[in-house]
Parts: sequence; C-alpha cells; structure tokens
Amino acid sequence: MTTDELERDLKTLAEPRADDVPLRLTVRATLDVQLHRQPEVRRRRRLVVGSAALATATAVAASVTLVGTGGSGGPSPANAAIIAHVARAMSPPANLIVHVKETGVQPDGTPVAVEWWQQTNPPHAVRVSKGFAGQQHEGAADGTTSSLYDAGTNTIYQHPNSKPPKLIDPVETVRADLANGGANVAGTVTIDGQPLYRIVLPNGVVGYFDQTDYRPVYLDNPQADGNVVRTHVLTYEELPLTPENEKLLSLTAQHPDARTETSAAPAK
Amino acid sequence: MEIRAVLETPALRARTVDPDAALVAAAREDPQAFLALYDRYFDRVLGYVRLRIRDEPTCEDITSTVFTTALEQLRRFRGDGAFAGWLFQIARNKVRDVERRPAAALLGDEVTSSEPDLEERLLAHERAAQLRIAIRLLTPEQQHLIGLRYGAGLAFDEIGTIVGATSGTVRVRMHRTLEQLRRRYPHDH
Repeated sequence: MTTDELERDLKTLAEPRADDVPLRLTVRATLDVQLHRQPEVRRRRRLVVGSAALATATAVAASVTLVGTGGSGGPSPANAAIIAHVARAMSPPANLIVHVKETGVQPDGTPVAVEWWQQTNPPHAVRVSKGFAGQQHEGAADGTTSSLYDAGTNTIYQHPNSKPPKLIDPVETVRADLANGGANVAGTVTIDGQPLYRIVLPNGVVGYFDQTDYRPVYLDNPQADGNVVRTHVLTYEELPLTPENEKLLSLTAQHPDARTETSAAPAK
Repeated sequence: MEIRAVLETPALRARTVDPDAALVAAAREDPQAFLALYDRYFDRVLGYVRLRIRDEPTCEDITSTVFTTALEQLRRFRGDGAFAGWLFQIARNKVRDVERRPAAALLGDEVTSSEPDLEERLLAHERAAQLRIAIRLLTPEQQHLIGLRYGAGLAFDEIGTIVGATSGTVRVRMHRTLEQLRRRYPHDH
C-alpha cells in the first residue's frame, strides 16, 4: 500500500455525511439554549428530541417491520397484523413528500420540537427545522447543495454537497439493524381521549400508534439516567410531489427575502 | 513525554498569534459569539471524532459534548495556547473516555442485506475497521496527530500551533506515524 492510498483511506474514515446538516443544527440549538441559560444554569444539557427522536422513529419503524415479517418467537397473529399495519403506515411510497412534526419535553422540562419534509424518492431532498421552542434552526439538503438558515441575520449559507441525503423514513435502510429484536403489542391505552396501540420495542422504546390509521402518536424513549423522554408526533402526513409542495423542501423558497451566501468549499 | 517534545518548548520560539483570539475575546464578552467558534470548528471536530470512533451516534454525542463542554469552560481557557488546541484537547479526552468503555466504541453501523452493493460495502467496512484498529495501536500522541490531520483536515502549520511544534516537526512526526500505520495496515487495494 502506498502512502497516498493510506491517506485516502484515512480521509474516508472521517468524510462528511449528508445528514451532518441536521446534526449541526441540533448541536447549535443545544448551545443556543445553554447560552440563554447562562449564568444561572451551568450544567450540561443535550437536545434529546432531534436526531435522537429521528433515531427513535427509525428504530420503531425498523423493529415493527421486522417483527411483522416474522421474528424468532414472534407475536401472535393478531399482534403481528397490528405490527404489519404500523409498518405499512410508516412506509410511505415513492414520489411523495413526507411531513413529520414532533414535539417533546426533556427531563429538565425544556420543550423541544423537530419538523421535517422529505422527498421519498431520490435524491431525498429534505428540509429540517429543529431546536427548542422559539429557537428553531433550519437546514436543507438536496443532493447538490447543503444549506443552513441563520434567522438572526436572515441569511442562507450554502455549500456544495453532492451526497444525497438519507431518507429519514428508515424502513428500507435499517430494517436489518434490529433483526434479532422482537416488538410486542402490549395492549391498548387511551391518551388524551385517543385510543392507541402500545408497542414495546427491544431497545426499550415504547411506541403508541393510532388504532385507526396506525400512525405513530407518542414515542417513549428511555434515557441513560432513568428518565423517559416522550415524543409526541403531531403530524405524520404524505403530500403529493407538486411544484407547490416541492417548495417545502427548499430554504430559499421558504425564506425568499433571505440573503444567500454561497461557499465554494464543500460542506465538510 | 518525548525528549524532542521537551526540547521544543513553545516558550523558546516566537509566540504565534492564535487565529481565534478575537473570537474567543468576543465570546468572553458576549457568550453568544461562541457560536461563531462553533461554526468554524463543528466539521473539524466531527471529522476528528469520526476518524477515531466508528459508531456514528457515539460520534454525534461526543461532538455535541465537546462543544457544550467548551462553552461551559470557556472562562477557564487562559489563552496561553491556541483555542483550537484547547478545543481538540477536549475532543481528545472525550474520545479517550469512550474508547475506555468496553465494546461501546466498537459497535458500528451494520451493513444491511438489502443494499445492492453489499459486497463492496462489506469490504469497505472491513477496511475501515482494520484501519481504526491500526490507529489505536499508535501512541496517544500519534493518534491525536492523525485525527488532526486526516479527521479535522488541518494543515501542518495549524497542527503545529495546536501541539506546540513547528510545521516541519509536525511533518516529520506525521511521516513517521504514517510509516508505522502502513506497516500495521497492509491492506491490498
């Protein structure tokens, strides 16, 4: 192996990913809150709803899909049917835009929210808004450009980025991740007057799904400190891929009066 | 500590100006200005962590923790070294903490059987895993250098400012480190 080849492999280990934009926004939002709470609160906090919530939703969909197709031991036929319905409800077809809005409250009482719109077919263009209530941050990626919106200066920062975003809806991309797990329908509950299926997942996450359309409504995500963060899925809808709806994927369309700064440097 | 490192005490050289000094000073006056430092270093810190840690959620957690810690402790940063050096020292410590945890850092993205280029991805995964193992066999200082160069993407003079050495010295150390790494990572291409 030549030094050049070694250097290439080293760079590959650290190369940026298309979904770095949401992460950048999430961490920035965390810092923003930390800044607003100084100096009275000095302890470290992390934004739980955000990428964690997306990961949770990912885990939910992946788990139910697998179990619905038959895991070891497996649920009863009736429960398997419920799980299969849930899996289908979270598997949007191509040529649509999925719109999801979630809110949650961190263990320290901080309200947080995340909302995204994503094209279900390549290049899976996505716009994400996330952060703490009143301090939302927005980013977008479309397979050619990654963009960040700074509301403070009403500026959109754009970098070339040829990597298409990952489809946040996870069924196809991570269905094998929890292949050895088993989801179980653990009965029904009524929350705020809404009858829901309660499905317990192997990673400790509990999902609550609407009994009519099987869409996720609440996700309880246990934390390392023993607390449980509940995510409320306010919206889970599929929109037709019309020119008007495509504007939902674009930062420039959503902020037409914003200044745009384009960098030639790749969005590393 | 290496003898060479002792002999290259930064005080013996003309002190370089920290390119982040103005931003750090601004952040001390108005903590909101810390976000400009964050914007400047987010990608670099994430890359540094990714080069060392395979598991992506762990990388994200570490990166987040590096910046929240830096913000918390900014007032403790005395400015007698480069801000980048201080920041990457935090990153280095966080990575080390994770590496000390059994198994956690070794877990990684699984390759899914539904992907069309499965064989290619499996090979890439294997190669990446071998390379990370080889990196972990280097000395902590060498791991830090590799992370700064190929993870954070820093130039030799930037690394020199961080580790308190001339860019020429960094080049020599990097060359030596790559040679060691190459011997431990004899992957055919």
